[in-house]
Amino acid sequence: MDRPDRLSRPMDAVLHLLDRQIIDRDGLFAGKVDDLELTEYDDRTLRLTALLVGPPALLPRLGGRLGGWLLDMWRELGVTRADRDAPGRIDLADVEHLGSGVTLNRPRAALVRTQGEPVAGTVRRRLGDLLGMEVRGPAGVRVRGRVIDVRVASGRPRGGRYVVARSLVVSRGRPGSLLGYDRASVSRPVVVDRVISWLHRHTGELDLADVVRIDWEARVVHATAEPGPLRAEDDRG
Amino acid sequence: MKRYLQVALGILTAIGGFVDIGDLVTNAQVGARFGMSLGGVVVLGVLGICVYAEMSGRVAAVSGRATFDLVRERLGPRVGLLNLAASMAVTFLTFVAEIGGVALALELVSSVSEVLLVPFVGGLVWVILWRAKFSPMENTLGLAGLALVVFAVALWQLGPDWGALGHQLATADKPAGEAWTTYAYYAVALFGAAMTPYEVFFFSSGGVEERWTAKDLGVMRANVFIGFPLGGALSLAIAGCAALVLQPAGVTVDALGQVGLPVAVALGKVGVAVAVIGFVAATFGAACETGLGVGYSIAQYFGWQWGKFVKADRAAPFHAVLLLSSLAAVGVLLTSVDPIVVTELSVVFSALALPLTYFPILVVANDPDYLGEHTNDRLANLLGVFYLVVLSFLSAAALPLLVITKMGQ
Repeated sequence: MDRPDRLSRPMDAVLHLLDRQIIDRDGLFAGKVDDLELTEYDDRTLRLTALLVGPPALLPRLGGRLGGWLLDMWRELGVTRADRDAPGRIDLADVEHLGSGVTLNRPRAALVRTQGEPVAGTVRRRLGDLLGMEVRGPAGVRVRGRVIDVRVASGRPRGGRYVVARSLVVSRGRPGSLLGYDRASVSRPVVVDRVISWLHRHTGELDLADVVRIDWEARVVHATAEPGPLRAEDDRG
Repeated sequence: MKRYLQVALGILTAIGGFVDIGDLVTNAQVGARFGMSLGGVVVLGVLGICVYAEMSGRVAAVSGRATFDLVRERLGPRVGLLNLAASMAVTFLTFVAEIGGVALALELVSSVSEVLLVPFVGGLVWVILWRAKFSPMENTLGLAGLALVVFAVALWQLGPDWGALGHQLATADKPAGEAWTTYAYYAVALFGAAMTPYEVFFFSSGGVEERWTAKDLGVMRANVFIGFPLGGALSLAIAGCAALVLQPAGVTVDALGQVGLPVAVALGKVGVAVAVIGFVAATFGAACETGLGVGYSIAQYFGWQWGKFVKADRAAPFHAVLLLSSLAAVGVLLTSVDPIVVTELSVVFSALALPLTYFPILVVANDPDYLGEHTNDRLANLLGVFYLVVLSFLSAAALPLLVITKMGQ
């Protein structure tokens, strides 16, 4: 719990933040990081702006028939509510510390709000929608693999904290991508490391500077370069 | 001085809390049919639960994260949910077996039908889960469970040929009349009884309940590496008693009373009285642990407030799960299903489900992001990988053996 704050270092949003426990100022549990809110600006930069919580954030991420069916059930159970599909939102400014859990700087009572209208010139996105997107390289050639994580880095301009997406991790979607072996953050037991690292030997990193456009409807990332090898934490940020 | 008392208390409750209905029934069944020839499996299983519990206890102490936090974080929400469903099905089955076990033990002394006692037992378990504080609950039931030491005394009083028992244990000498498949089936069952998944859910969540930090790692290890093996020795004593008294008489164990029979032969009425107290305490303690295990795991997956370190009204969804699962367990037992059969199924399905939670914990125990300097050392990883192989193998073998042997007939 007393590990250094992850948010102030470069990190992988899925590996280090998604699905973590949210803990309020008084040590009470306040849900899981069910999804993350990304804000897309006019200049196409993507910032990580909030934690999203609740079934409307979690269930779409389950994917497949199970996710669709559960989401339908969730709607039916509150069919009169217009905001039934709206996930709850916890602003990133409420986050005090990111370690093995997410500690907030306020009590959990009346913590979660709905997203509301985005600031002019920005569009609200969800990390869960970016994950699994297909990638097209130069001349529209399809890259083997899909987006499995977003690498972010933080800055502190005049007091506030912002966390901006820097690159996408692209992988062929084999099992075990959340275990940390492919990002070299875990390397033992040696046998397990060998097997999972080998499964993920094609995993690469696509700099967002090389991304021309993210087509959120067709779920395609258009880039001018192929993904390169994954960079170590010290070379990022 | 206070610290030594605390360590001693922890070890004693670990011993008393180790044995549950699965250990009682499976060890007596195996002892009565195979003598001590499967004792090596108990040793293997006990070392396995030590390795597994030490890793998850360390993760809980250093990072504050319990088992199903890690399952969701490391496997993702989809695979994590399927994992939760499978693990909870097995833990719920064990919960049913434990409540049934308490009722069977009370039936022994009251001669009231077990089915009539079930609602009363289920209600009492729920009241304790709702009202009792964590440490007094764990300590009282763990200490009362020490009454099962009567099996070790009985074994000694029966005056066995220790050399012959040891020889059976060391050589894994299968009785000539038994098929290899049946022998293998009971090996899997015995392993599942020794290394039940709920023990680890409960142990790691209990670490968070008692607010362990890295400073408590020494106490935690003492509990695990002294308490669990001594608890395992009680399991072996139960098997040994059955091997000495029931096997020569050709008795096959299908009732709880038969488990206590060797104690009656060795120590008479007083011995039986102590054994029944042990049965009630061990199964009641395990009923509380499995009941909490169900609530802990579901709450951890969804991020709800869980645990008895907060007032019940601050963890309402968690307590709702405890209430509903207690009601459901009573409901299952009211169909008059035989708790012994439920127990037999629960230990085999435990073996089947073990790798689901074992693997993520092995990975996180190596992740410096969670554990800093407290990641696995070489020995922990050597044993960790060894048990990963053993668990995967037994998990794959469990269902085929269940079907082939028709539950060990």
